[in-house]
Amino acid sequence: MSRVIRSSAATFAAGYILLGFAALVLFAAPLRYAWQATIEDFRFELLQEDSQRLTHVFELRGPAGLRSFIEERVGMQIAGERMLSFSGPGGRPLAGNLRSWPSSVPTLAGSYTLPVVLGGKRKMVALVLTALPGGYHLLVGRDVDRFKPIERRFWYGLAAAVGVLTVAGVLGALLIRRALLARIQSTQQTVAAIMRGDLSHRLKVRSSGDELDTLAQTINRLLEQIEQLVHGTANVSNSIAHDLRTPLAELRSRLEELALTRPAAEETFAEIDAALADVDGVIRIFNALLRLAEIDAGLRRSNFVETDVVELVSRAVEFYLPAAELKGLTLSFRDPGAVAARCDPVLLAQAVNNLIDNSLKFVAAGGHIELAVTRPSYDSVAVAVADDGPGIPQADMPRAAQRFFRGDASRGTPGVGLGLSLVEAIAKLHGGALTLADNHPGLRAQMTIERGATVPTAAPEPPRTDPDQPRRGVEITA
Amino acid sequence: MKILVVEDNERMARFLTKGLKEAGHTTDHAENGRDGLFLAVSERYDAIIMDRMLPGNIDGLAIIAALRKADNHTPILILSALGDVDERIRGLRTGGDDYLTKPFAFGELLARIDVLSRRVRQDAAQTTLEVADLRIDLLARKVWRGARAIQLQPREFKLLEYLMRHAGQVVTRTMLLENVWDYHFDPETNVVDVHISKLRQKIDTDAEHQLLRTVRNAGYMISAEAPPAVGTG
Repeated sequence: MSRVIRSSAATFAAGYILLGFAALVLFAAPLRYAWQATIEDFRFELLQEDSQRLTHVFELRGPAGLRSFIEERVGMQIAGERMLSFSGPGGRPLAGNLRSWPSSVPTLAGSYTLPVVLGGKRKMVALVLTALPGGYHLLVGRDVDRFKPIERRFWYGLAAAVGVLTVAGVLGALLIRRALLARIQSTQQTVAAIMRGDLSHRLKVRSSGDELDTLAQTINRLLEQIEQLVHGTANVSNSIAHDLRTPLAELRSRLEELALTRPAAEETFAEIDAALADVDGVIRIFNALLRLAEIDAGLRRSNFVETDVVELVSRAVEFYLPAAELKGLTLSFRDPGAVAARCDPVLLAQAVNNLIDNSLKFVAAGGHIELAVTRPSYDSVAVAVADDGPGIPQADMPRAAQRFFRGDASRGTPGVGLGLSLVEAIAKLHGGALTLADNHPGLRAQMTIERGATVPTAAPEPPRTDPDQPRRGVEITA
Repeated sequence: MKILVVEDNERMARFLTKGLKEAGHTTDHAENGRDGLFLAVSERYDAIIMDRMLPGNIDGLAIIAALRKADNHTPILILSALGDVDERIRGLRTGGDDYLTKPFAFGELLARIDVLSRRVRQDAAQTTLEVADLRIDLLARKVWRGARAIQLQPREFKLLEYLMRHAGQVVTRTMLLENVWDYHFDPETNVVDVHISKLRQKIDTDAEHQLLRTVRNAGYMISAEAPPAVGTG
């Protein structure tokens, strides 16, 4: 794995440098072309000017005049590095600083750049050949090599740029590689640790907020979810082992005893009934677990429909009212007017019913259970069930919604300890949460759900106060 | 009643046919999809109990689809270990009339088969229902026991209506939850029992004849007759 990273970092560095070179070449090539073209043009322009001046002298003073003019200039060293040659008809040199007419020079007038042997040395020369009336020829030239140092400097500069680029490229690549490697290695270590079974590790996220950080954050969220699922599964497995073992053990001993003692028919039938009840209990736990698994997997989102949450709560209250009356409790809900939300009505009804069921189990006679539907924000709905029962000790609050958690108060009550976990799972499926709080005294369980993409409606209806109007909600009774 | 049981598990099939026979029904048994489909199209049944996962190339849903396509409307109860909501919906959409998940209580199955097979004969245009001297007017939503008018809340009326529509049949708690409250889960407390006893108070108090009875290990029944021996317990 690390070799792959290393080689990919090296490839990256090499590519980076190559790209730099390509950019440099692309940058230098037109520059050099423009530079050379400019120099050449300028050079010929100078020679042409020279040649015109000398032609002018020839026109004014004739061949002899030009000859003496040239000789004067050569003698005074005014000619400089310039080559001057004035020849008569037939190519006989008359004046100039060339001992003989260079053999390679063509006889036709024009501008040329060509090698010429001068003083035994072969040089590149730029020259302008002018034909003068009477068969005379004038040659004005200049040594191209004179510009060699400038050109050399250009090449030196380019070489230096290449050097700087290479060093910067290698350094940059090394630095990037190191930074990348460090982060990838930390990621790799984290992943390796997770693979060893410790799911609590998280990728380091720096505050820079770059793409790698975004990636790390996404991966961390993924890990969080995986950890929750794994812990959930582990918890459930443990709890199943514990909570199913008890009724199964009971069932087994009951059946074994029957097989061993073979009691009278009447007693046998009673025992069989009891065994059936044991099995039903086990099945109930299984069903609750399966439903939880189904909700956790998020498979039920397809059943979301537009629902009036208030009506759903009203119906749940109405459903539990007789049971509350029987226990001597008041169960109340004030109808705040329709609140629409996109949800799974079956699940949401189950969640609300579980919350009421839960309160009903724990609140003693004379107690109160109060339901409320509120809108904490435009996008959410909250269903709160508040009672004045024994509540949940502060220390148990965070664990109360855990699977199979049963507080001390729940001993001796029916139920398998999955009610609140179901509510929490359902709230989560709806993008919300279950919050438990102290109601001083009692428990206040609030389930918040997202309203989802509902059809935009006007402001919620005002509460109905007209006593003649049919009321969906139920007011304090019992 | 004549009931076809399509079930590949031998023990489950024996349990079903034995129980149904004890309840006074005659049964045929098919242990694979092909035989099941053959029997279902060639014989007349009052109801079919259909397992979903069957050996051979034809599964339960395929049989149901074939029957419905051939305009055969025999009531079908799907009995399956596939209990997800989605599976249940698929089963009912294919043409099943009811869906029961394994494991199940036999009383529940018997009650549902009873209701299913009699649903066909029910007169949809009925406006009043009567059991002995208990009478309800479905249009005016009024209830009388003899000459005494009884005040019921809307949900109580719906509960009574359901029980009376199935007078003489056992109705389970789950059936009541599903049909009266449209709840598809079991509450942990005995809420349905409380509703029933409240309703019973209203219709049976001061009457010499108890109409609304609890059937042990099964559910409830409204009936004018003396309690028959129903239930498996």
